[in-house]
Amino acid sequence: MNKFVKAITFMLFITVPGLLSAEIKIPEGIIKLDGRSAPQLKLEDIDGNSYDIKQSRGKWVFVHFWAAWCGPCRREMPTVQRMVEQLKDHAIDVVLVNTAETDDEVFSFMGVIAPDMSTLMDRDGLVTESWQPRGLPASFFVSPRGTLEYIALGGRTWDKPKFLNFVKQLIETK
Amino acid sequence: MNISALTRYLVLLIVTLICSIQIHASFAAEKKDRYKFENKFIKFGLYPRTPEQMAAFYEGRGFPKQAVSATTKHCFITVGMRNISKTKIWLDLSRWRIYNIQGEVNRTNREQWKQKWTQLKVPLASQATFTWTLLPESRDLHPDEPVGGNITLQPMDSPFTVEANFATGEDQQGKTLKVIIEDVRCLKNGEKAS
Repeated sequence: MNKFVKAITFMLFITVPGLLSAEIKIPEGIIKLDGRSAPQLKLEDIDGNSYDIKQSRGKWVFVHFWAAWCGPCRREMPTVQRMVEQLKDHAIDVVLVNTAETDDEVFSFMGVIAPDMSTLMDRDGLVTESWQPRGLPASFFVSPRGTLEYIALGGRTWDKPKFLNFVKQLIETK
Repeated sequence: MNISALTRYLVLLIVTLICSIQIHASFAAEKKDRYKFENKFIKFGLYPRTPEQMAAFYEGRGFPKQAVSATTKHCFITVGMRNISKTKIWLDLSRWRIYNIQGEVNRTNREQWKQKWTQLKVPLASQATFTWTLLPESRDLHPDEPVGGNITLQPMDSPFTVEANFATGEDQQGKTLKVIIEDVRCLKNGEKAS
């Protein structure tokens, strides 16, 4: 029996650190946040459909702030669209928020750059400001509990395996 | 002309052509890279804009006339940088020096712009867009993090120097990183950065 307990203890000693280190592997360009509650996000899209981030509780949410005038946003948006296509069977909500632009500006941008996606309209820019992004574009990962967990530093190529795997890991840790 | 003379002539012609292409390329590179800096910590670049460029940008985004007019009274320099080191780099515009032969050059900061927009009753959406186009006053730049935006100066004819000082390290206690770019000019309409 003594040997059995020792063996179990040894096994735990070997496997537990391994399990702990199997935590989310954060790719370069993404940093961990302090887990504070996500600010309010209640906006309408270009067609007047409303969305409140509270309705995504229980799922990870990718919140992406952008503007058509911003060069890095233009380069990043197609990669967001491709990420969405790759994650269509996964439980994650992808929420785009346009910062302070008009319907025309957004329509002409999305029509060309990401025709399959829709965006919320932060018409006066106040919601964006309340989220305190580090610049535009900005992407946050909000946990199923509604807390801010990660932020991407500048524009990223979201359809690259290292980012896709990161997002899939997040979804699995739900 | 015999064959060996022809060969010598052709070789000379090719060498001359290669040299002239290289000289042209090196001048072009020098001109293109005059406002750029890179070391093992940072990639840094300045991109002066003409008043017309800025007016077109803001007018195209529906800014009211009084706001567009206010922007044309400033010298806009777009700054782009990326932390390419493994440590934090701290952007803090209060540690930058911008000066010319007459002394320090005035920079209009985002708080001053905010006051101006309030006085001019500029809509919130335009204020937000304008603010996002400015370089942040301060920011801790993580490894591989880019940041960009405009700094706005009082227009001047004389060339000036931009001395950007950055603290480094997690606690800002690392060696100060200094980037100095000389002979920067505010562009007038019709001019190009050279």
